[in-house]
Amino acid sequence: MKSYLSLIPLSAKVRKRQNRMTLLCIIFAVFLVTSIFSMADIGVQIERTRLLEKHENLTYQDMLSSTMAQTLFLTAMVLFILVLIAGVLMISSTINTNVVQRTKFFGMMRCIGMSKEQIIRFVRLEALNWCKTAIPLGVILGIVFTWGLCAALRFLVGEEFSGIPLFGISIIGIISGVVVGITTVLLAASSPAKRAAKVSPVTAVTGNLENPQKPHHTINTHIFKIETALGIHHAISAKKNLMLMTGSFALSIILFLSFLVLIDFVNYLMPQSSSTADISISSSDNSNSIDNELLDTINSMPGIKRIFGRRSILDVPATMDKNKGTSCMIDMISYDEFELKCLSKDEILKKGSDISKVSGNSSYIIATWDKDSTLKIGDRIWIKNEELEIAGLLKYDPFSNDGLTNGKITLITSGETFIRLTGITDYSLLMAQTADDITDEEITAISSILDKNCIFQDKRDERTTGTYTAFVLCVYGFLAVVTLVAALNIINNISMSVYARIKQYGAMRAVGMDGHQITKMIVAEAFTYAATGCTVGCTIGLLISKWLYHILIASHFSYAVWNVPAVPLLGILLFVLATIIVAVYAPSKRMRSMEITEIINEL
Amino acid sequence: MDLLEVKNLCKTYGSGEAAVHALKKVSFSVPRGEYVAIIGESGSGKSTLLNMIGALDTPASGKVVIGGTDIFAMNDRKLTIFRRRNIGFIFQAFNLVPELTVEQNIIFPVLLDYQKPDKKYLEELLTVLNLQERRNHLPSQLSGGQQQRVAIGRALITHPSLILADEPTGNLDTRNSSEVIALLKEASKKYEQTIIMITHSRSIAQTADRVLQVSDGVLTDLGRYRE
Repeated sequence: MKSYLSLIPLSAKVRKRQNRMTLLCIIFAVFLVTSIFSMADIGVQIERTRLLEKHENLTYQDMLSSTMAQTLFLTAMVLFILVLIAGVLMISSTINTNVVQRTKFFGMMRCIGMSKEQIIRFVRLEALNWCKTAIPLGVILGIVFTWGLCAALRFLVGEEFSGIPLFGISIIGIISGVVVGITTVLLAASSPAKRAAKVSPVTAVTGNLENPQKPHHTINTHIFKIETALGIHHAISAKKNLMLMTGSFALSIILFLSFLVLIDFVNYLMPQSSSTADISISSSDNSNSIDNELLDTINSMPGIKRIFGRRSILDVPATMDKNKGTSCMIDMISYDEFELKCLSKDEILKKGSDISKVSGNSSYIIATWDKDSTLKIGDRIWIKNEELEIAGLLKYDPFSNDGLTNGKITLITSGETFIRLTGITDYSLLMAQTADDITDEEITAISSILDKNCIFQDKRDERTTGTYTAFVLCVYGFLAVVTLVAALNIINNISMSVYARIKQYGAMRAVGMDGHQITKMIVAEAFTYAATGCTVGCTIGLLISKWLYHILIASHFSYAVWNVPAVPLLGILLFVLATIIVAVYAPSKRMRSMEITEIINEL
Repeated sequence: MDLLEVKNLCKTYGSGEAAVHALKKVSFSVPRGEYVAIIGESGSGKSTLLNMIGALDTPASGKVVIGGTDIFAMNDRKLTIFRRRNIGFIFQAFNLVPELTVEQNIIFPVLLDYQKPDKKYLEELLTVLNLQERRNHLPSQLSGGQQQRVAIGRALITHPSLILADEPTGNLDTRNSSEVIALLKEASKKYEQTIIMITHSRSIAQTADRVLQVSDGVLTDLGRYRE
């Protein structure tokens, strides 16, 4: 041994098991940052190539100032800060527990002459020693993950991503990973280092290691059974640990709820409808002048996958309430079976709607809706003395530019009902979905059979499926990683917390606590962390979700209404519950299977 | 009838050439109410023997019978409950639960049994142990001697027939040591409890009814200890 610091690698070898989770946390933080920055960098490179193809004399400066590049870097920066916070929280809590469980060791070091400054240096260098293996591993994982993501974008999404490099290496990504790794570890180690330095030398020689320095609240054994009361107390008595655990739980939930708004946002920005048409044929004067036989003719042409049409009639007199005789003018549009089915498939119908009643020749209809609309499912409307019932409502008005009805009632009927009511059989609009391999010649062939009253539009290039899928993939990917980080953090912390009290648990078992009670105690502790984390996370998360929804969506799409994301909230609760079960399983099994003497004698 | 019977107890740590025989066919018995001291060098196997008697550790072979019950014939759950109700432990390092008050620490084994503590007996214990004034204090607010008295209270609360003490005075000064031993002896007489105690102190061993010596895993009955 050259200096006292040579103890660090020796101690790391002995404490391999206890350090494993801390290492995993650092690897994860580095991995996340490397992949986020690598993807942002590759994204910018693609954008640069695309712009260079368009404008040959583009300089790098121009490139950096492009809105797309700025958005990408801004997103990467926000994610970077969030990851940094999550990383600091995660690593800090593991180093903290790591130090707490070695109180006696640091006491002994102080006893044999280590100064406070030397203890601080020891803990910091110990943390940096973990970086030695964790950072390269995190960077490699990040690079491999980026390759995987690039391959997925290139082969699964294609379109504008078909030119993405497969084995690209981003220097920016690697540097960011390394810098974040070291910064996070140093930031995270500073508080536990000070804590370790404060350990009194007397700790090494006194019996009760976990003796609190200051008296704290006693336990109420009247409400809960003793093991449950102790478990809850273990969670809430260490304020700092509780804050870290609550913070990391809450941060993950907040991130989750915020990202869900981003997915909503992209749904509004690039609505993906099952009935999106690749070509459309509309009547030049908006009348029902397209011969209905044209639908069958085009349907039999090569390259056509599916064709469907609409008929429309505007300003039809109708009576809303027969007794009062409230009359109004309504618009009526017919949907073919396929498009009706798409309404429920695309989830644009309000709760309680029943599309099956509308199909075929029926007396049921669907109406457009917005938050100022007074229409309800079950309302009746009389058109030409025929009674129709509203079987469903749309969440907005797809026929207006802003999604609002502006007081106008628009009814959607089936083709058969429309013909019965109006006698009109011809179409005002035909829409077709084409096969992926349709040729330009086949498109031309379709347009050539149309007469001059028809307007033909080729909309194949307007499809946003590729970009949408890429975005959703990235968001869900990031959400999966955030979830995984949260799960790892919870598992790690509970395991560390149990390990820190191992001797106490051993003594409890010696005086008669059985394995089942040990498990209940650990469950109670884990559950307390989860409960506080969920409460804080869901409260702040919902507030942020509402705020983000307002600035991103509601301010641009006035018909959009924020709703409490009940299903994701339920998902979060189930996920937290599952994580607790996993987190409690290993340590409680270890505690039960260990010999009591082995636990008591463990230092 | 003997309360404790130890028959041919063997314990080996490690295997092959590195095998250490901590206990070699140890056999002895202790009648109800007897106060036994176990002495021996460090590493001689005395703590291993005590841990086996208390079912904290399992032997390689042999039997431990307490009050007619072969303790190693029970499954883990039953054994835990048996230990909780029939054996009281006192450790050198006290091993109190830091979050619990003096009173809660004493009634801890009763709470683990989901029973209500006998208040009269608790008061009696607090008086005997001279802890009435400290009943709502946390272990961190007590001296070493007081903490060990709490540990004794915890060992006595379930009226166990057997009390096992591993160097209970190891962390205490002479005055506190004498107090603790006097308390243990008093309890042994008053409640007819059997005490088996490991000690390094010859003066403490002298106070016992019988002294057993463990040397290299072999037990010798020294009878009543004399200088």
